[in-house]
Amino acid sequence: MTVNPGSLLRPPYILIGPAALFLYLFSCVFPAAPCVAAAHPDALKIGVLAPLSGPYAAGGTSFVQAATLAVEQANAEGGVFGQRVTIVVGDTQGRVDVAKAEALRLVSREKVSALVGAYLSEETVGVMEVAAAHRTVLLVPVAATAEITDKVRREYARYRYVFRVGYSIPQWAEMIAAFLSDRKVRRYAFVGAGIRWNRELGETLERIVAPLGIAPAYTAYYSPGNPAFDTVAVAAAAASPDIVILADPGRNSVSFLKRLRESAPALPALSIGGALGDARLAASVPLSAPVYVQAAAWRGVSAAATAYVERYEHRFGAPPVGYSDTLPYDAVTVLVAAWRKAGSAATEAVVPVLERGTFAGAAGAYRFDDAHQADWGTGPGALRGIFVRWERDGARIVFPPR
Amino acid sequence: MRNAAPFRAPKVSLRGGTPPTRSPWRGGGFLAAGIGLLLLFPLSSPDAFFLDVFTTGFLLAAFAASWDVVGGVSGQITLGHALPFGTAAYACALLTSFAGWPLPLAVAAAVLLAAAAGAGIGALSARLVGPFVALLTLALGEIAHEAAVGHTFFSGPGGYAWGGEGGIPVALPWRDAPPFWSYYAALAFLCLASFGMLRFSRSGAGLILRAVAGSPITAQASGVPIARFRRLAFTVGSAFAGAAGAGFVLHVGRATATDLSLELSFQAATFAAVGGRGTIVGPVVAALVLHVLFQGLSLPPSARVLLYALTLLVTLRFFPGGVVGTARDLASRLGGKEGTRPPRRRGRNRSGGGTP
Amino acid sequence: MASPLPQVLLDGLFAGGTYALMAAGMALILGVVKVINLSHGAFFTLGAYVAYALAERGVETPIAAAPLAAVIAFAFGVFLGKSFVNPARSHPFALPVGTLACALLFEQAAQMAWGPHPLSIGADAPWIGPGGLVIRRWGVIAFLSSAALLGGLRWVLSARPGLSLRLIAEDEEIAGSLGMDVEAIRYLTFGGACAMAAAAGALLSPSGAVTPTMGRAPLLLSLVVVIVAGMDSVAAIFLLSIGLGIFGNACAWFLSPQWSYVALLAAVCLLLSARPAGIVALAGRRD
Repeated sequence: MTVNPGSLLRPPYILIGPAALFLYLFSCVFPAAPCVAAAHPDALKIGVLAPLSGPYAAGGTSFVQAATLAVEQANAEGGVFGQRVTIVVGDTQGRVDVAKAEALRLVSREKVSALVGAYLSEETVGVMEVAAAHRTVLLVPVAATAEITDKVRREYARYRYVFRVGYSIPQWAEMIAAFLSDRKVRRYAFVGAGIRWNRELGETLERIVAPLGIAPAYTAYYSPGNPAFDTVAVAAAAASPDIVILADPGRNSVSFLKRLRESAPALPALSIGGALGDARLAASVPLSAPVYVQAAAWRGVSAAATAYVERYEHRFGAPPVGYSDTLPYDAVTVLVAAWRKAGSAATEAVVPVLERGTFAGAAGAYRFDDAHQADWGTGPGALRGIFVRWERDGARIVFPPR
Repeated sequence: MRNAAPFRAPKVSLRGGTPPTRSPWRGGGFLAAGIGLLLLFPLSSPDAFFLDVFTTGFLLAAFAASWDVVGGVSGQITLGHALPFGTAAYACALLTSFAGWPLPLAVAAAVLLAAAAGAGIGALSARLVGPFVALLTLALGEIAHEAAVGHTFFSGPGGYAWGGEGGIPVALPWRDAPPFWSYYAALAFLCLASFGMLRFSRSGAGLILRAVAGSPITAQASGVPIARFRRLAFTVGSAFAGAAGAGFVLHVGRATATDLSLELSFQAATFAAVGGRGTIVGPVVAALVLHVLFQGLSLPPSARVLLYALTLLVTLRFFPGGVVGTARDLASRLGGKEGTRPPRRRGRNRSGGGTP
Repeated sequence: MASPLPQVLLDGLFAGGTYALMAAGMALILGVVKVINLSHGAFFTLGAYVAYALAERGVETPIAAAPLAAVIAFAFGVFLGKSFVNPARSHPFALPVGTLACALLFEQAAQMAWGPHPLSIGADAPWIGPGGLVIRRWGVIAFLSSAALLGGLRWVLSARPGLSLRLIAEDEEIAGSLGMDVEAIRYLTFGGACAMAAAAGALLSPSGAVTPTMGRAPLLLSLVVVIVAGMDSVAAIFLLSIGLGIFGNACAWFLSPQWSYVALLAAVCLLLSARPAGIVALAGRRD
């Protein structure tokens, strides 16, 4: 670049060098950010990482709301070791680089005792690295990718701080398969967005239901950027399945279900969770055929679940949808229970307790296997999840039967 | 006129031309001061978070500057600049994770691939002007994004699927890079890349690009092969974008579909607009300041987005030419045009005088 | 059960009507005000939220919501035009970026006002046509409205009131020297086009979910239509919109639903390569 070096020595530029030096000396004396944050003596901090802006703000907002509720519940029970528990929130914005930066902020600046998050798979894997490097417990409520548990299994020494509270893809498919079998479904249609975890779920489900004599009549994935709802709805209806499974948890499931109802009013639909767990959304879709929704827990499943749903509804105005809120609630609840059981919030004390113990949450009793995956599915003692059916006056639990 | 002999203009080489004898901008001092401050900043022991924000900021600033090479210097507004950025990111990830290439080789290949992608875009857009270039680059960027989100045929070591929206990890030789190293590496990269882009924009080729952007007809009449120069702009800009993308993915450790997203492309254009299109330094400053301010201050999310949008609106309303661009115009108007002012002559009336 | 292909094509027709509704306002802004309005999607979203707000209060029909949405959007559009678009026009590149920032602002405001969760308005039952063909109400409304809007636009532009708009589109200096209040016409046109986008959003709100970022996808496609079709021929805009809608659905049907968007974009790229000046290259056009 053609800069005349002589110009750098002219006033006022000559003042800039000493000014920079002065600033440096000044900042050495008064550090820009305290190296040791003033640790609040009366509060334990949980770092919550979720997208609060960007395209996933809906899931992230319920995530943080549920975590807040869980912490309030813990404080209402007397706190942990006589101390209050507080939440520090980091907005991951749906991006890995921001998720990692926010995780760093929570760990290095806010000095949280544990992390809960994140929402998306890629965010979570990024946050895992930060948690591993700083030896902080990380509880993963959603984010179903196998990469998380695979990393724990392969490099246990590094990733043993990570526990997944939510269900993995195979567990998810297992629960759906049990429901399909219960409903006497022989042929189903599987519709999802063209994203990796939807495809994984579809393929895993097909594999798991094959021995049960159930087969997909139609499988399609639409582009998340410009979804071709019309074509897929028409084709799904034309294949004459017994039920249509909607794997996209977001707003697209509502749009698609509306199209489907227009093309095939009598075709039952199952949403694997998400937006259609919201009563107001379900009410806007014609109920000419059953609409089922899968959730981690629902009102009426157990006393704990009912208490949680009613507290959530009282606090935030609408009941939880059952996935992106219930699982974070249970993650915080499990963490607090582990702290109490271990008698300390130190990572080295908490990890063995989490590995060996059983913890009660709204969805049931949580136990973790060797890969630090919570036990969901149809096995003995496993968390079963719930399937509800929307009706005019609310949702009715249809599976597992009470 | 059709029967007249065709006008033969002298061949213009891609290199060469006479660079200006003196920079028309006296901001070199500010630049040096800024770099000095950035060099000294980590020594005031900020926490790892701040260093991380700055590191990402440096990489985004290099990306914004690379947009300016295409959109500012060459005048071709591209709305798909995330394509070379993400191409390099994915290339790095795929080459290290699946092909097992050593990291330096993978990075070099990634940058070359990004440059090749840029050359391809340049070739496709050579005949187009204005909004059509924007549309074409936007469409190509979106195609790349869709392809990245939709493909899942790679499988990781555990047999599960990789790719799609979850992205592909990079096999890095280091586990957790110390924040200081990342900071200084990214700063060094930003300085080198900006230096390179500034030299390019002030070289003969850069001048020709500006001339072509100003008036393609005149340039064509002077015998300039417009299509070649436009392709060159895209290639160079994409190469630097690819370098920024490779740096980004080395810092983050994962190539995700966000690296090819429309939001990222728009971000580059936004930083260029706020900083000053065509100045190269303007987008760097704008990207750095905006990114560090809005990510580093830990504002509540809704306030952050609102403030960011308001800042953009207010800045563009009062500095529609960009902050650095307006500063430059002001400086040149207040200080007189450097290099074009005639030498002072003693005892001569400068205001009127001279030949009538 | 209707045979699927005619159904798919009919749905493509309705989708094209959607794009045409958005493209109408966008073309007006691009032609007269010379701005690529990236906040058009945000006004679309605004219209949908107005329809939702009315539905919450018992007014279920979106047709009633459209005029209210148009008025509100007109006010916002005029404000944006006066405060930003007109003063910043010395640097044409700042304008699209500014409108993008405005879209961000709107989206965030909508998220703060109504929450980030998807909302939904119940759609009326569709009509059943011959052979079991499902004819969506909102699809028909969108198609007819877009035809009416574009037809009206064409009539206005060719009649006396539209002469001032065409002159401003052609050459602002001459229009100004003829005594036209160019500034006022610019921001009024901007407001009017935003009102069209909001009306489109209100009319189409029952078709899916209402979220703060719902306007982004229609914005993109209408941008594609307007740039490729050019601002000279309203008929070209309408036909290209319909064509893209049908083409997208046909691709989803014959190729794969996953890649229909890519096929659409690739077709646009091919179109641009084949006809670099847009599909309507008028002969004898002065530079």
